[in-house]
Amino acid sequence: MVLPFSYHWRNLFVRKTTTLMTLLVVAAVVGVFQWLLGFADAITDSFAVATDPRKLIVLKPGATAESNSAIAIDEFNALYQVADLARDPATDRPLISPEMIVQVSLPRLRDGGKTFANVAVRGVTDEAFLVHRNISLHGDGFSRAEREVIVGQAAARQFGGLEVGDVIHLGYAGDRVYRVVGTFSAGGGPMESEIWGYLPSLMNAYNRTTYSSAGVLIAPEADAKSVIAQIAGPAVELSAMTEGDYWEAQTRLMAVYLGISYVLVVIMSLAAVFSIANTMFSVVAGRLGEIAMLRTIGFSRRHILSGLIYESVVLCTVGGALGSAACTAWLIGVGNTKDMFGANTFTTMAFEIRMSGLIVGGSLGLVVLVGVLGAIVPALRAARMHVVMALRTP
Amino acid sequence: MKLQFVYLYRNLARNPRRTLLTCAAVALPITVFVLSMAVVDGFNQFLDNSTRQLRLAVTHKTSIVNPLPEGHRRKIEALDPTGRRLLAVCGLRYIGGQREDDPTPLSTLAVDADTFAACFPEQRLTAEELELWNRDRQAIIIGRGTAGDMGWKVGDRVTIMPSVPPYQPLEFHVVSTAEKAEDFVTNWCRRDYLEEVLKEAGALEGMVTFFFVKCAGKADLDHYRAEIDRQFTGSLDETKCQDEKTFMNEFITQQFDLPTNLSILAGMTVFVAIMAAANTMSMNFRDRANEVATLKSLGFGGGFAFGLIQSESLLLCAIGGAVGALAPYVAFTFTPLRDFTIPLIQTLIIMPGTCLKAMLIAMAIGVLAAVWPSWQAFRMKVVVALRQFE
Repeated sequence: MVLPFSYHWRNLFVRKTTTLMTLLVVAAVVGVFQWLLGFADAITDSFAVATDPRKLIVLKPGATAESNSAIAIDEFNALYQVADLARDPATDRPLISPEMIVQVSLPRLRDGGKTFANVAVRGVTDEAFLVHRNISLHGDGFSRAEREVIVGQAAARQFGGLEVGDVIHLGYAGDRVYRVVGTFSAGGGPMESEIWGYLPSLMNAYNRTTYSSAGVLIAPEADAKSVIAQIAGPAVELSAMTEGDYWEAQTRLMAVYLGISYVLVVIMSLAAVFSIANTMFSVVAGRLGEIAMLRTIGFSRRHILSGLIYESVVLCTVGGALGSAACTAWLIGVGNTKDMFGANTFTTMAFEIRMSGLIVGGSLGLVVLVGVLGAIVPALRAARMHVVMALRTP
Repeated sequence: MKLQFVYLYRNLARNPRRTLLTCAAVALPITVFVLSMAVVDGFNQFLDNSTRQLRLAVTHKTSIVNPLPEGHRRKIEALDPTGRRLLAVCGLRYIGGQREDDPTPLSTLAVDADTFAACFPEQRLTAEELELWNRDRQAIIIGRGTAGDMGWKVGDRVTIMPSVPPYQPLEFHVVSTAEKAEDFVTNWCRRDYLEEVLKEAGALEGMVTFFFVKCAGKADLDHYRAEIDRQFTGSLDETKCQDEKTFMNEFITQQFDLPTNLSILAGMTVFVAIMAAANTMSMNFRDRANEVATLKSLGFGGGFAFGLIQSESLLLCAIGGAVGALAPYVAFTFTPLRDFTIPLIQTLIIMPGTCLKAMLIAMAIGVLAAVWPSWQAFRMKVVVALRQFE
């Protein structure tokens, strides 16, 4: 026979003030934790989408990112002698995409344009749409003859002046007017924060004679390491890495900031544990007679122990649900759009924080752990107490 | 009747477990508060230092990544021929870099050798270091933090692989490890040496990433901020001139907007501490309501009861706050944690002022947490209370 749920639920309302205070502590910790998890998840998901195992990013040796890489055209052409590359079914040419990266400063929509972000502008050719397999065009593509661009959907949502029909000023002197003619999606990956235009047009606008990078798609059965070794070899002498490795290197800085934030939230969680322990000790002290009575009528030590832990977990779960709701309300009210500046890329990546089932589940898992840890000692104390001594207590 | 400190102390010692748990529940959020505010203060200090230097940052109007021609320097200098208001103009070119056998990124800037010392006096170079810097075109000043990490010292020959074209290794002679500089990560080398290498490699020369302009005073800063942009309006390389603080702040806000997010986190931790302390004071009052009623029946007034609860809460939170504030101070000042680095602000320095602020907040938490039980104690009807607890 176990203690009914209603017994534990009603006990929470006996000391309303204590219950409320404890709920608010747990809610605050869970709210913050969930926001951080959502932020980290948004970044991780974005880069997980960007990890096509068959795609390599080729840079000039020594460059740390596309924005500081410069590949001469003859160096780029040497890539065509690399074996094990995928081929365009229409032309049978190896799928190698020459690309140029520059930046344009655009206002952020979430603060009404008060601050600006460096948005990546990528000059591409038709091969880019075959190499970057997660790109889907929505609407018109850019013309080769006109000054037109397409924008990533994440960029269009977060930065000003990127709606279809708008014009933006690109070029070295910012004097070339380009019209936005369509949007594209990239599965939520980093490229969805970019603006794409026709490579020769943009190279002309920015007075560039070199490419920033090359995107290479390897054949389905090819080994990426072997292709990377060929590219680094004496015939080509460029530096290649898988897309996953490239983006991992760009987010190293963010990992430091997230690590700091996680440490702080763990410390806050410990405060919640102590607060709950305090509450449960008080609960036990105030119900000694009641607990002793339960023992005399047949409930075992195990029932008392599990019952008190259960009560704590229920309390924390309600607090966790409150915190989760508060975090969601915050994201809706204040906005869930964030962007991150890459110290190596010098460009901004836009993303949105969303509460997934996994994040909510993870937060509730934390809450259960906090509830158990906070209640274990007072529950053990209550389970072990001498029944007769407890019955004598006024 | 005098409220005695020993009575307060004994009340807290009566339930040591509850007192300890509450102290811990207050101390931990205060620790988080101190650490969060230390990072925020670090960023603010970094920006305040930028303000103190009275420098303007001149970048390309279109994008910071677009270089500016080095010839812009002469035109900027020409705005003040006397040199009394524009004290120095220094061109900087970012080269980043890493060691040949180490992928750890370095922060290296190539600067105009002749105006570097005047433009960046906070480097505090000695006369000897300055002479070596001026004499040797391959001179490099290594940030002391970087020198420590890389094992470099004055007199060493070091090779850095730049992160920008033409990616050819550059050999330098270490003339200083900037022992007295405020920035101990950035490395400074001479731009004339870089230009030679660029010329030999056939790469783009004669360009800088941006200029820093040292002004004589705040009025000059404000005046030349507009004047410099006006000078280049309509040219192929128009400029965007901002004070150094605004320039650096743009980088900071784009990095996870750490100051804002940490300030919000600090606020949340104070809230958690208030709730934890209020919980305890509420439990304390409930457990000792008959005691308070007895005291009131003996002649101690409502004000005494109010003060008693408030004082207890204040003492409890002061103890928790002291522990919470001192622990990170000791950890980050006297233990190996003092070498922990955070990008941009470098090391985490816990200022005594931050700890004092945290302790004052802990005491404010003590006052707030006890407001309701104190008020209940003040208003308590003696007879009703005594009857309730028979």
